[in-house]
Amino acid sequence: MYKYVLRRLMLAVPVLFLSSLIVFGLMRVMPGDALTVLMGESGNIGEKELAKVRKDLRLDLPYHEQYLLWVWQMVSLRPGDSLLTGEPILVSLGKALPVTLELATLAMILGLALAIPVGVVSATRQDTAPDYAGRVVAVSGLSFPDFWLGTLVITFAAIWFHWIPPIGYTSLWDSPWRNLQQFLLPAAVLGFRLSAATMRMTRSTVLEVLREDYVRTAWAKGLAGRIVVYKHALKNALIPVVTVVGGQLGVLLAGAVVIETIFALPGMGRLTVEAILYRDYPVVQTNVMLVAGILVTLNLVVDLTYAWLDPRIRYQ
Amino acid sequence: MNGDRGAASMTAAVAPPAVLPAAEASAETISRTRLLWLTLRRKPLGAVSAAVILVIILTALLAGVLAPFDPLETRPDIRLQPPSREHLFGTDDIGRDVLSRIIYGSRISLWVGLLAVGIGTVAGMIVGLVCGYWEGRIDLALQRLMDAVQAIPGLILALAIVSVLTPNTTNAMLAIAIVIIPGNSRIVRGAVLSAKQNRYVEAAEALGCRPLHILVRHILPNVTAPILIIASIWLGNAILIEATLSFLGVGTQPPTPSWGLMLSSTGRAFMEQAPWLAIFPGLAISLAVLAFNLFGDTLRDAWDPKLRRKG
Repeated sequence: MYKYVLRRLMLAVPVLFLSSLIVFGLMRVMPGDALTVLMGESGNIGEKELAKVRKDLRLDLPYHEQYLLWVWQMVSLRPGDSLLTGEPILVSLGKALPVTLELATLAMILGLALAIPVGVVSATRQDTAPDYAGRVVAVSGLSFPDFWLGTLVITFAAIWFHWIPPIGYTSLWDSPWRNLQQFLLPAAVLGFRLSAATMRMTRSTVLEVLREDYVRTAWAKGLAGRIVVYKHALKNALIPVVTVVGGQLGVLLAGAVVIETIFALPGMGRLTVEAILYRDYPVVQTNVMLVAGILVTLNLVVDLTYAWLDPRIRYQ
Repeated sequence: MNGDRGAASMTAAVAPPAVLPAAEASAETISRTRLLWLTLRRKPLGAVSAAVILVIILTALLAGVLAPFDPLETRPDIRLQPPSREHLFGTDDIGRDVLSRIIYGSRISLWVGLLAVGIGTVAGMIVGLVCGYWEGRIDLALQRLMDAVQAIPGLILALAIVSVLTPNTTNAMLAIAIVIIPGNSRIVRGAVLSAKQNRYVEAAEALGCRPLHILVRHILPNVTAPILIIASIWLGNAILIEATLSFLGVGTQPPTPSWGLMLSSTGRAFMEQAPWLAIFPGLAISLAVLAFNLFGDTLRDAWDPKLRRKG
């Protein structure tokens, strides 16, 4: 087991190295940089001053030296400052990460609370009205764009209930009620979207497991339906579901760019997108590598979960 | 697919298929089409999705004939008109007919979807074929590269690529294609690894066929079903990503009518005053994505033998 984890971690090194090359390369070939954006905004920075600022920020170094410098900064956990705001990146992450974590957790809870029961009911009552209803909900969730759902939710909350969720972000610790008002709608929209894939996967795997001999045995020995379905069938059907949920969690932690934009939540997605648009290299590079690291770790955690769900699985 | 492989293996046992007979290849094509036809007849939802896709294609092709107004014509005197007999989907903030813009918008969505998925599928297929057939170091290197691309969130990667290439429809399409490649390559690689185990591949190798010949004539026909299934599902996703990029302002640029752009530019700004500006483009995107998703499901039902047995 430890050997397996170690091997996987070793394999992650070249993946993260290549990801870092891709993101570094992309940022360097983008036309313009944060300084030209700043210059465009202020309009009164001379070429000499610009060259001096570039030298101070070490943007005048050859690309390979810039890359090595950045790698060293990342390894030593000192990713530097934003070119645009001058704020230390660790401080920006400290503000954005809690927003993303809260949104991701709430969306995940709402999504799973909808997906697993509906998926199970859909499977146990295959080809009946509840099954059709569940499948329609699932396919709709996959097809409705989240920016459309988000826009509609705000519009109709305003038209029908004369209520608009408070814009911006209030910390959970400062005002739990206001925080809940700010997070509930975006989390519901995200959760609905996420629930679709999980629901479909739950339905198909539960359907498969319900045909297994041990489930037939469980029925034959007179166990209650709830126990057969939830204890015998569901746990064994969860492996593909965990894979889907793991992938979704990774995407959520990267930041729900669109939902954060619509509901004005200052999470990881918005931070990264704004940094891309303003060519703020250090912020983009740090955020993307952080997310890549999270995704690689999540994949490993998902694989390790398989062994817990199915004790026959052994990692060597 | 397994069934196809099984049939092909039996053929191989009878006579070494140095070259796959043309008749066999066409019989396989016919049988797949027939399988799809039978599934469409059995599953009305699949038939409806196919019909919706056909309608979208026809709408895109005949946009010039179907659109009641010029999608770019501005008429400030009729700005923000609610849906009426003359303007079925209402008008936007500068008096353009929303229905006409949605009709023309279908061209952008389909164009981006088809080309992005086409490029992404072909590139993913080539990588998957190379990795699956040759394995070894080239497989290890290419798959780590695919892992690295997949470790970057798709939308962020697409945004970064579009920012490098300047935001417009073509570049959004290229960015989507790049995002699609790793997933496709993995599916094709898996299918190739499985197809390679067949005895007819072994026989072809023993007869001295060149790798390219084996790949194209013996392995590729076995992996077309998963490729087509995943491509049809990706079509819906590609439309969604294009709409999202346009929504974020880095996809299609104004005044070109794009469903995502219509939602972001006017849909959000006037959502309380004129909700139809948000409702109709969103419905168009949802309907298109829904149809492609359902059609992808139908293809899978028709061509995946495991599901066929269950059904």
